[in-house]
Amino acid sequence: MMQAGEFKARLDRTLVALADPTRRSILERLSRGEARVTELAEPFSISLNSVSKHIRMLERADLVRRRKAGKEHLLSFNRAPLDEAAVWIEQHRELWTLRLSALDDLLRAEDDLLRAEDRARRKTIRPRTKRGKP
Amino acid sequence: MNEGDKISVCVTHRFSATAERVFDAWVDPEKVCKFLFVTATGQMLRTEIDARVGGGFTIVERRAGEDVAHVGTYLEIDRPRRLVFLLAVPKYSSGQDRISVDIRPLGSGCELTLTHEMASRQAEHRGRAQEGWRRVLEMLAEQLPLAEPSRAAGQG
Repeated sequence: MMQAGEFKARLDRTLVALADPTRRSILERLSRGEARVTELAEPFSISLNSVSKHIRMLERADLVRRRKAGKEHLLSFNRAPLDEAAVWIEQHRELWTLRLSALDDLLRAEDDLLRAEDRARRKTIRPRTKRGKP
Repeated sequence: MNEGDKISVCVTHRFSATAERVFDAWVDPEKVCKFLFVTATGQMLRTEIDARVGGGFTIVERRAGEDVAHVGTYLEIDRPRRLVFLLAVPKYSSGQDRISVDIRPLGSGCELTLTHEMASRQAEHRGRAQEGWRRVLEMLAEQLPLAEPSRAAGQG
């Protein structure tokens, strides 16, 4: 649980990175295989510079990774941050399941206590033969 | 439930207790401190609840020497059927998640459905981020069975 905040901050970065249609197109292209920056920029009517900015944002969210092959920078898609969403969902499912069953236990314990008190009350009204210490 | 365009999780639990008792437990500090944001090894320090729409709660637990606060704001209070609140853990994130608790009375007891929707930290991006999220999940569903994730980029 200690890394919860960092984990969530990463998920936030993922969501923000995905909020833009240009960045989604870039990811879509990369999910089909590695590409150079220039190749990625081709289908867009925006400058190479602004495509580079989008790519940097995707890199910060770790959705895109970069490797050097000679002089070239090749970019690829990394799906791990998307899988983190699945982890978040699993963690929270587990947490809430535990909390709800703790609440259930709490209410049952309260019921048991009420029943016990009720029995005790009836005993004082109609005492049976005493057991134990007088 | 309006899932599909948000990261959210939904859990259902059936109680033998009545809807009213289950509902009341969510706004009763005595009970909240025993089931809500408590951990096995933590020490509950403070549970303050102001159960009004617009009111809030603060639940502070000491965990391994650190004080962790869960802070929230009530958005809907409709006893015994529905409770909606925003939840933040300022120590870890500035985002506010949204928790909806829906309680359906049954012949005996009730059924509770909890939905936890994760917030984007940057609220102004939120709508678009969620749209983006849905689109990307669609994209993954369509493409990834075919395209093996590239390993070329190396490990971290």
